[in-house]
Formats: sequence, C-alpha cells, structure tokens
Amino acid sequence: MKKIIFVGLLILVFAFAVFGCGAKQEPADNGGEQQSQTGEQQQSKEPVKIGFFAPLTGPAAADGESVQNAAELAVEQINDAGGINGQLVELVDYDDGLDSKQAVNIAQKLTTKDNVVATVSGSYSGPTRAVAPIFQRAKIPMISAYALHPEITKAGDFIFRQSFVGTVQGKAGAYVAVEMLGAKKIAILHIDNDFGSTLAQSFEAYAEAKGAEVVSIDSFSFGEKEFTPVLTKIKEEGADLVYMPAYAGEGAQIVRQAKDLGLEAQLLGTEGVDSTTQFLEVAADTADGLVITTNLNRDSDREVVQKFLTDYSDFSGHAPDMVAASTYDAFMVLASVMKEYGTEPAQILEGLSKVKNFEAVTGVLHGYNELGEVTKAVQVQEVKNGKFHSYGQIDDPEIITPPNK
Amino acid sequence: MFLQQLINGIVIGSVYALTAMGATLVYGIMRILDINNAGAYALGAYVGLLTYNATGSLLLTFIVGMLLTGLYGVLVQKLLYVPMLDKSPNVSLIASIGLFIFLSDLIRMVAGPSIKGFHAEVPFSSIYTESLNINGAWILIIVTTFLLLAVLWFLLNKTKIGLAWKATAQDLETAKAMGVNVNMMVALNYLLGYGFAAAAGIMVGILYSSVFPTMGDVPAYKMLAIIVLGGLGSPVGTVIAAMVIGLAETLIGGYIGFFLPRDAIAFVVLIIILLFRPQGLISKN
Amino acid sequence: MYEIVVAINVGIFVVLAMSINIITGYAGQPTLGHAAFFGIGAYTSAVLSGAFGLSFWVSFPLAGIIAGLVGMMLGLASLRVQEDFLAITTIGINFVVVAIFQYVPLFGASLGLSVPRPTFFGQDFGNVHFLVLVVGLILFTYFVNRRLENSWLGMALGGIRNNEMAAAALGIDVNKFKIIAFILGTFLAGLAGSVYAHFMGFIMSNDFAFLTSVTILSMAVIGGLGTIRGPIFGALLLGLAPEVFRFVSDYRMLVYGGLLVLMMRFQSQGLVGDDSYLWNMITRKKSWFSASTKG
Repeated sequence: MKKIIFVGLLILVFAFAVFGCGAKQEPADNGGEQQSQTGEQQQSKEPVKIGFFAPLTGPAAADGESVQNAAELAVEQINDAGGINGQLVELVDYDDGLDSKQAVNIAQKLTTKDNVVATVSGSYSGPTRAVAPIFQRAKIPMISAYALHPEITKAGDFIFRQSFVGTVQGKAGAYVAVEMLGAKKIAILHIDNDFGSTLAQSFEAYAEAKGAEVVSIDSFSFGEKEFTPVLTKIKEEGADLVYMPAYAGEGAQIVRQAKDLGLEAQLLGTEGVDSTTQFLEVAADTADGLVITTNLNRDSDREVVQKFLTDYSDFSGHAPDMVAASTYDAFMVLASVMKEYGTEPAQILEGLSKVKNFEAVTGVLHGYNELGEVTKAVQVQEVKNGKFHSYGQIDDPEIITPPNK
Repeated sequence: MFLQQLINGIVIGSVYALTAMGATLVYGIMRILDINNAGAYALGAYVGLLTYNATGSLLLTFIVGMLLTGLYGVLVQKLLYVPMLDKSPNVSLIASIGLFIFLSDLIRMVAGPSIKGFHAEVPFSSIYTESLNINGAWILIIVTTFLLLAVLWFLLNKTKIGLAWKATAQDLETAKAMGVNVNMMVALNYLLGYGFAAAAGIMVGILYSSVFPTMGDVPAYKMLAIIVLGGLGSPVGTVIAAMVIGLAETLIGGYIGFFLPRDAIAFVVLIIILLFRPQGLISKN
Repeated sequence: MYEIVVAINVGIFVVLAMSINIITGYAGQPTLGHAAFFGIGAYTSAVLSGAFGLSFWVSFPLAGIIAGLVGMMLGLASLRVQEDFLAITTIGINFVVVAIFQYVPLFGASLGLSVPRPTFFGQDFGNVHFLVLVVGLILFTYFVNRRLENSWLGMALGGIRNNEMAAAALGIDVNKFKIIAFILGTFLAGLAGSVYAHFMGFIMSNDFAFLTSVTILSMAVIGGLGTIRGPIFGALLLGLAPEVFRFVSDYRMLVYGGLLVLMMRFQSQGLVGDDSYLWNMITRKKSWFSASTKG
C-alpha cells in the first residue's frame, strides 16, 4: 500500500514540476483562431514568436552552435530594423540533442503551449522528419533549414525546405562532374546516411545518363576518419573523379588522405563540407583544387551575401558555413513574408507559397513549389589558396527544378 | 596494393592497441571495465594540442599529455574506482560511463564543439615509392607504439614492480598479504593505462590533424570489444586482438567495401570468435 | 497536447526500464544492448504493418514475440560466456542490430521507415489512444514484475543474482531461469518498441543505438535495480528531466554524467532502492519521527 502511495505521490510531484514550469498563460488548443479574434490592438504589443530547434548537445553540437548563432543573428537584425511592422520577433529556441523523441516533445510544446506562428528546424533529418507531421497537423508552417530527407516536405503543405533536396544537388553534382569537369570514370564515396545515399543515387543516375561510367560506390559512417584503404582501392581503379558527399569531419580526411596517397583524380564535394572552421582549417592546403556544389557563393557581389559574411563573423567570431546561411535565410524569408501578408500561420503559409525571386544569402529564391521545395540556382565553388571561391553557377531549370510530388 | 593496405592495418592496429591497453591493465588488477579510458584518450589529445601550440615540441607534447592524463587517472582511481571495489562490477562500469559522458561534455563546454586542427611537424618524412605511400605520421605511430609497448613489456616482465603487478593481478588479497603495496600498484596501473590512452589520442590527433570533443566515442566501445577478444586482462592478447581488428577493418574497407558500418566489424569479429573460443583469443592463464 | 505526448514518451521508457530490470535486476545479467530489442520490436512492427499491411493489433504482439525470440538466443549465448564478456557481447549485439537496420533496404536503410497509424474500430489513433495503450502496457509490465518477484521464479532469480553457486547447490536450474529472464525482458522491450514506432510515425536506426541502451540501464540503476519502484522512478526522473530542466539544457549531459558517477559512488543501490537513504526515510526506518514519538 505504502509503495503505491509513494509511486502515486512521485508521479504527482513530477507532473507539477513539469507542467508547472512548462505552462504559459494562454490556453493554446485553439491557437490561431482565437488570436485573430482578440483584435489588432493586442497584436501590435505582443511579440511574434518563431520556434526553433537545433542539436546543441550531442554528436552534432558543432552544427547546432552554428545554426543557433545564425538564428539569433537573424532575429536581432529583424528587430533592429523595426521588427514585423512594429512587432518584435521573439525566438523560442530549444535543444533537441539530435534525439527524435525530444524533438517530438519540443514540437508539441511549440504548437500547443508556446504560441509560435512558424518554426524553423535547425536540426538533422531524423528529428525534422519526426516532427513534420506535428506541425502539419497543427497548421503551423515549418521550414527545414538544411535537413535533406525527401519525406520531410511530403508531410504536407505547411512544410517547406530551405536547402536543395537531394535529387537536385545530386543532379547538379553530376552536371559539374561530366559537363564542367569532363569526367569519364567516376568513383562515388558517400556517407551512409540519408544525406549521402540520396545524393549518391541521383548523382549516379544523372551521370550515367550523360555517358559517364561509375566504376565504384563505397560508403562510410558518420565520423569516419580512416580513408586510406578505400582511397587506395579507388586509385587502383583509375577513376578520374571522386564524388564525395560527406560532412566536414570526414570530408577533411578524404581530401588530406587523397593528397597524401597521390590520388590524382579530381575531388568533387557537396555542401556538407561547406565550412571554413571545420573543413578548411583541418584540411588546410590539401583542400586546394576541391570543387563543391553548395548554396553559398562567397565571391558573390550581391550585397546581402557580403553583409551576412561580415555580420556573422562579427556576431559569432568565425566565418559562417552553409548550415548557418540556410538557417539565416529561413528566418529572413519568414520575416519578409510576415511583413507583407501578416503574422497568422495561415497568412504565412499563403505568403510562403507566393515567394518569388527573394534575395537570400543562399541565392535568389525563385520560390517554393507545391511540395514546399525551394528552387534556386546551385552554386559551384572551388577551393583556391585555402579559401572558397566562385567556380560557377547552375541555373538550368532541368537540373534545379525540384520534384513536386 | 596489398602491402599498402597491410601497413595501413598495422598502423590502425597500433593505435587500437595503445588505446585498449589501459583498459586491459585496469581489468587485470581490478576486474572492472573502465570506459573512461576513452575519456583519457580525448583528454590526452586536447592536452597534447595545447602543449604543442604552446611549445612546438613533439616530445614535450607526449610527455606532458601522458603525464597529466596519467595523473587524472590516479585521481580517478583513488576517488572513484577503489572505493567501489567492494560493489558489483556493474557499478564501476556504469560509473565509468557516467564519468566518460561528463568528461566529454566538459571538454565540449571548455573547448567548443567544433573540430580543431592539430597541425604538427612530424620528425619522420614520408616515404613515397611507386606502389607505397607511407605517411610520416604512420611511422611516428608505429615507432611510438613499439617503444611504449616495449617499455611496458620490460616493466611487467623484467622488474620487481612487474612481478608485484602480476601477483596483484593474480590475486589481490594474497598479494596484499604478502606485502605488496597494492594501492601503489593500482595507482601505477592507472598512470600507465591512462598515459597510454593519452598517447594514442595525441597520435590520432596528429594523424588526422583534428581533435574534437566526441573523439572518444568510438574508441569507448571498440576498445572493449578488443580487450574481450584478446582475453580480458592479457596485454599480449590485447595487442594481437588490436592488430586483428585493425587489419580486418582495413582489408574489408580496401577490398570488399563496408557491407556493414566499420565500427560494427569489431563486434562481428568478436561474436564469431567467442562462438568458438568463449574465453577470447588468449586466456588469462 | 503537450502533456500527453510527454507522458507517452516517458511511459514507453518506464516500460523499458522495468523490462531491463528483469534481466539485470532480478537475474543479475548485465545487458548494455537493450535498445537493440526495443529496435527489433519497433522495426518488426513497422515492417509488418507497413510493407505487409497487417493491422497494428497483430504486429504489436508479434513485435514482442520476435524480440523475445532473439532475446532467447542471447540468453542461450549468455550461458557460454562469463559475466564480464556478456556485457560487451550485448554491446556488440546492439551495434550489429543497428547496423542491419541501417544497411538493409527492407528496413529502409539510411532513410528510415515510415510507420502507419494504428486504428481502433476504424478510427485513427489519437494521442489519447496512445496514452491509454502505454498506461496499459505499464500496468502489464508491473504485474509481470510483481508476479516474478513473488513467485518461486523471482526467488530463484534473486538467489542467482546474489549467489549463483549457492542457488545451483540448492537445486535451482540456474540456466533455465536466466533464459526465461532474457525472454521476458526482451519481449516487453519489443512491445514498447512497437508502440514507439507507431507513435513516432517514423523510425531510424539511430533511435536504437548504444546511447539509448545506456539510458535505459541508467534509469533502472539510478532508481534502484532489483525493485519495481526503482526503474519507474529512474525513468520518470531521467525522462522528465530534459523537460523540467530546459533552462539548463546546455549542461544536461554534465548533470547526467555526474549523476551517474555520484549515484554509483554513494548510493549504488539506487535513489529508491532497497536500503537507500531516501527509501529508508520514506519507510521510516531512519527518520526523526520515531525519535520524537519517544518523547
């Protein structure tokens, strides 16, 4: 008997602790409807809340820190410029620890307790994919800053993606490989998660359609450092180009060890290695000559890009990477849409679907299609003297138009 | 190509051997599994990086890194592991996991989560022939591992301390009764064990020119597979097992391609061997 | 609703913590790969309901059964290896299982698997349905544990944990009981996995990695192995902590690691385990009340 009382008391205590700390003033189940009925007067005083979650602890903490900085910078700049027609933006941010369960809890909180009108996901595919249906059901727009999984946008019309979907980038990579770099025999070396697999698949399909031969496909796990065995094998195969979808940690090693082995093949990377601090600093001069497909053109003469590069460096103390740029853009697009269409979730949805030629850091956004995928040019960058420089740009609609199913 | 892969495998195996040696030594005396050994690996790498950036001397880097990390080990055994000796070994195992998590995150908070470059000048120049590419760092690893293991072998087999260690490993209570200073044995054990892990961490940091807070994650469990494979508590077994795993990973990666994630291979090998030899490759006696 | 979702997530881990208690608490077999069985249950249910179109109510028990079968094999294997080897072998099993989920196309490989919503008499499950299901599962697990504790099986297992040789000398078939413990513990974990998969709607191999196994074991250990209240307490504590302590979320892992170390060092029987400080206070073995009533 005592044990049951004890357990029961325990549960009560915890319940109070959690929900006492977590509850906010307004009951939130009817969210959007009620707010618009309470009148415009309230709206101009209340801040506009945008939700955000990122992996600040755990194995992806470096990316988490990067995007957190970008989110805070964006919100600060939006507010400094007068907010959304007078209303300040409030960032409601959480750490999901790269854990889908936590992301689900966070998404529930954002949609039912925190009264956010939109959310940006700064996390990887796993958590983002798990929470997309929650935002869809709550009819609150969510933009995935850089998570690639194709199923994310299929959750519904409220879900958008700021970065290229895998098929677009893979195709673009194949175009660069075959048309721009003239490769004939290609080896693929990809990370074994959804990012690497989707890129590798679409790359292979398009490259072979264009007449190149894919001689081998090898994969590795997240965090892998030792590539000499597989690079030795690729060297024996005589490939003239190696396509390497990887993150900065692994990419830096591939590049270094390839150089060390005397591998003469051209290396072609992706936005995964688009990081000055984690990739260029580690790879140093062995990265020279690497070409990547990405969405950040550091040589761009567009003012918005150069301003971002400077502002982010001042804000965080180091140069920005692709994930930071994508996150920043997601917030800026939201701000612009809210200013023009209103701050209700339904209005934001309407605005997002009507985005046309938005000047973002990661390119001129032609818009989002029915699925929520973004259409913008693919940037091609090259590493010269330890820095990323412009190599080219792909605007061919056949390549950059994302699937709409 | 085979020779290239072989040498590569030996290099990897050497690193594994040094990393796992600490865990084997600890098990030998205390019969507990210490996952925090991998924390020493990461700590050593960071201390090494700091030392190298401050002094530019590779020798000092190793000495300071190994010493400081070894002292951390002495502290940890005194405050944590020895007092828990009377409890079930599961207790120490979980405590070591907790300590490892704590240390890794502490490093993240202090040094930041991103990868830091570790560009060190290696005193060996690389060898490039027509069919072979041997990185200078590889030579450093093989030489240092050989030296450290030789010192360990000498210590264990040719000195009085080694005798005392073996007696303690055989039977702690009896050794104590015979006048062996068991406390000192344990402290020395950790000094060496964590020191070796630190050396491994430094060398890996130099080899891949990067240190990052989660670098101990993979060694944490892989090294457990290695020491079990080698037969718990046997330093010789550990070296052999480490080489087996290092070569297996390299040859599979180089010839077949990874049909399973690289880190799972160590466990697959372990499970297969245990099916035929449940005591591991080399049994303690 | 936020509270319901949190309750579901925590509840699933209450079941997991209680299930690992059967293996490691009652039978004393260290298992550091329990998440593998959680995963086997989840993927089995996902594939049966998804690719094969079976109803949730069929794939749910099947998930448990399949997990239990694999658990039985682990139990059989555990007889051959000594205890220290066993812990590491279970880690190995965790890795191999996760690797299979990551690489085999049937399990979605790196893209993970979408899992269909269960239906109840034609209606799609809402969060409340899941909560009821989870509570039901917790009660079921509770009763299994209770029966175990009180039955001759429980006393035998307790005997095994405390002194395997003595138990064997008394004629207890140590091996048989170890295997039963493995089967029960993994069966329950498999059921929990099925609920998890259908609730999340999407699973990836990473969800069931070694870190999750450590979490499950930590919950049971921090609460108090070998008791029923221990794993429940531990699961509640570690499961609710991220929500309660959001304001110190940056220090979360430090606190978690530190808690494990301190607990093992000073209260290895668990916060509310037998003869722990807290539990003694609650059951009034060591309290100031008795002193004051004496006058």
